[in-house]
Amino acid sequence: MFRLLSRPLRLPAFLGPAPRPDDPQIFRFNGERGPIIADVVRRVVQHYAGQPQKLLYVLNEAANAEVRRLASQDDMEASDALGAWRRLVKRLGKMSEEERVQELRRICGDMTEDIAGNFDPRVYALATKIVPGVLTGIMRPVALPQVMLGGFRQLDELVTVEGPIEKLRRLARVGTLVLTPTHSSNLDSVALGFALMRENLPPVVYGAGKNLFSNPLISFFMHNLGAYRVDRRLRFELYKEILKEYSTVLLESGYHSLFFPGGTRCRSNVIEPSLKLGLLGTAVTAYGNAVATGGAHKPIYVVPATINYRLVLEAETLIEDYLAETGKSRYIITDDEFSRIGRIVEFLRKILAHEGAVVIRFGRPLDPLGHDVDDDGRSLDRQGRPIDLRGFFTGADGSHRVDEQRDAEYTRLLGRRLVAAFPRESVFHATTVVARAVFDELCAQVGTRDIYQLTRLPPGREVAVPDVVRRLGALRAALAARPEAGRLHHRVVAAGDSATLDDGLRALGGYHSHPVLTRAGDHLRIGDVKLLYYYQNRLAHLPVEKS
Amino acid sequence: MSANRGDTVGIVGAGSFGTALAVALARAGRPVVLYTRTAAVAAAIASTRRCPRLPDVEVPTAVRVVTEPAALAASARFLVIAVTSTDVGPRLTELGAVVDGGHLIVHAVGALAAPDDVRVSELIERSTPVLRAGVLAGPALPPDLVSGRFASMVVASAFDEVLVEARRLLNLPPALRLYGSHDVVGVELASALAGAFTVALGLADGAAVGVGARAVLITRAVAESARLLEAAGGKARTFAGLAGLGNLLVRAGTEDDPDYALGRALARGEAIGTRTSEGARAALTALRLAERRRVRMPLLLGLGAVLAGKISVTEAARLAADTVAAEE
Repeated sequence: MFRLLSRPLRLPAFLGPAPRPDDPQIFRFNGERGPIIADVVRRVVQHYAGQPQKLLYVLNEAANAEVRRLASQDDMEASDALGAWRRLVKRLGKMSEEERVQELRRICGDMTEDIAGNFDPRVYALATKIVPGVLTGIMRPVALPQVMLGGFRQLDELVTVEGPIEKLRRLARVGTLVLTPTHSSNLDSVALGFALMRENLPPVVYGAGKNLFSNPLISFFMHNLGAYRVDRRLRFELYKEILKEYSTVLLESGYHSLFFPGGTRCRSNVIEPSLKLGLLGTAVTAYGNAVATGGAHKPIYVVPATINYRLVLEAETLIEDYLAETGKSRYIITDDEFSRIGRIVEFLRKILAHEGAVVIRFGRPLDPLGHDVDDDGRSLDRQGRPIDLRGFFTGADGSHRVDEQRDAEYTRLLGRRLVAAFPRESVFHATTVVARAVFDELCAQVGTRDIYQLTRLPPGREVAVPDVVRRLGALRAALAARPEAGRLHHRVVAAGDSATLDDGLRALGGYHSHPVLTRAGDHLRIGDVKLLYYYQNRLAHLPVEKS
Repeated sequence: MSANRGDTVGIVGAGSFGTALAVALARAGRPVVLYTRTAAVAAAIASTRRCPRLPDVEVPTAVRVVTEPAALAASARFLVIAVTSTDVGPRLTELGAVVDGGHLIVHAVGALAAPDDVRVSELIERSTPVLRAGVLAGPALPPDLVSGRFASMVVASAFDEVLVEARRLLNLPPALRLYGSHDVVGVELASALAGAFTVALGLADGAAVGVGARAVLITRAVAESARLLEAAGGKARTFAGLAGLGNLLVRAGTEDDPDYALGRALARGEAIGTRTSEGARAALTALRLAERRRVRMPLLLGLGAVLAGKISVTEAARLAADTVAAEE
């Protein structure tokens, strides 16, 4: 039953409304789903079909990887599929090339079908019009009358959005947006989805870890709101190729997309210093493919964004995972705070007590090669001159030239621009600056910034309030002097250092299972040094004040 | 008849290297456009087929000389920047207005760019729309290029396409051979440091320190440079290649090499006044880089002090010897 519920559940298609001409492209997704899957399969098969050695390699790698993975599982998935993969391993060497191509086509079809998302405008309407109100009503019964009148003020206060919104609306009309935010929480896509709806920006398709589909309620909404499923357990080349091709086809077809270029949620809470370029590269590939066709095509705009939480739902699990240094081997956390609905409700209930709990800040949109674009969507070079991107994809004879190495290098350039944009567009809450000030003071006392040494300190270590307040002032000055390092939340800007300390303490002392910090007279007692480290890490790029 | 733009090499700068490369390419039947902003130089080449910076060599009529950057950009997709580090900024600014993303640029500037010590490849990205860029360096001296003697250079770029195009358009077998590398940072710094240590070797040779001390100087130059390359994000071993050691060994023995000649003049005790060279500029910029990266470079430090007139050659030699002995 549970397995059935985690499968894609859809409402009957014949009851759904037909999309209108001015609806975003995603409203047409279900009608195009079949052709999109067929196109992905065709491209992947075409990619390998002319390379017999490569074809044999990818099939062999995929089959053996699946046998290893499924043999270690003792569940229905293993009993369904293990035998078929084992038979493939045995038969592969004896198969003709044509049979291998057929096998590749079958595997690609199954995998793409599993990946491909779904978008139901009725579920979208439900999610955007009812869920915010219901959530608000549940968590703030006093706000119910307001909800009845159709106002979502509570959620409005919860999620604030900054950046060039009008420009994004304009670019969304003429091109395809690729949103590339930082990634701290599984609530990111929810918060971002709500923000897009409220700001009258189009909904996006995005890849979500298959583990997130384990909760039937979350699974239902994700399945029907454009999420496609990414099974991170499958690390063989063929699966990655299919995923990238799926994303490329979506972008070429004009579907606004969301990538988390940092990969999975950031365990340490440090602003992503490096990116996974695989999916990001599909923006370059899609643009190059569009140029190759020669006709009119929609431009693609990459939008750096930061999602800045006052408190992070999964902070405890993430920092434990990071400190245990098992982040790489235990890549997929299947039982964190996000999988427990009660914990999410508790989280929302807590953070609703504070204004501006999540700030989503969009940065300047870029073209797929990392250039800034003007208000009309034209690419600009570093001197602000309009440039034609088509030239970047041409060879010596002036015609379009396919070059994967060139495109990979363009993707690296784009990645560098995003990495530079993330700190600049970050917004720091009181929780972050207070954690950083306390952490700096603690480190100065102890004489080390090594977190492993700090975790071995006796519990209940204290720092003096005046020292922390002084450090808050220094942080404020350091950020003011370095706009590229980010900005303070407007409440921190407006408040004095003492008020900011109180504000940060209220949040850090009240949500997590252990208080991170509590006030004890004119001292602050550190209750959880790991979480203190986690929150201050958001400012890790800011140099430590010289004492 | 206009040549195919994709097969044409555009050279920026009618100095000795740029002119020699243009001459060698034209003799091999390659379409070449040479850009100089100095009308007098263009006129001299047009009327006498001699370039003032390389007067002993006849410039073939196949070398088309232009004085407008737009004419260069329209004629050639592949451009070679062959100007000094003090000129490269203004030339790239000019080019930035006329080139587009379809152009490929490699530069042959053997120093970091004035005035703020950036690598020239960074300056290309900053000043022009061109992304597919690279660096050309190595022991191919103008006399070798024009006489057809064997010479080699290395071209480095993050883009394979730049390496392929550079080799397609600039290789002149059996005379000039190009090797490829992806270590742009390493090749740019190696080329600059080779110029700097060429000055140091000119000093040493002028002071007649002997072959043993000369060998020590070269090996320590390799060690110091490798440390700086690595600290700056390049590969340490790149200095042992054509751009670094190859360049140094060839130039530090060529009497008319400006860096080597400057070193020898300093050793003779000549007052150099405002006289300088690419190598001398590279030494000072590399020192600033070393300071920022916290890399100790005692030999380069001594050279910098001599160039700044703070210590004598003798003092520098003594300090360098003491530091090397204490450190290594």
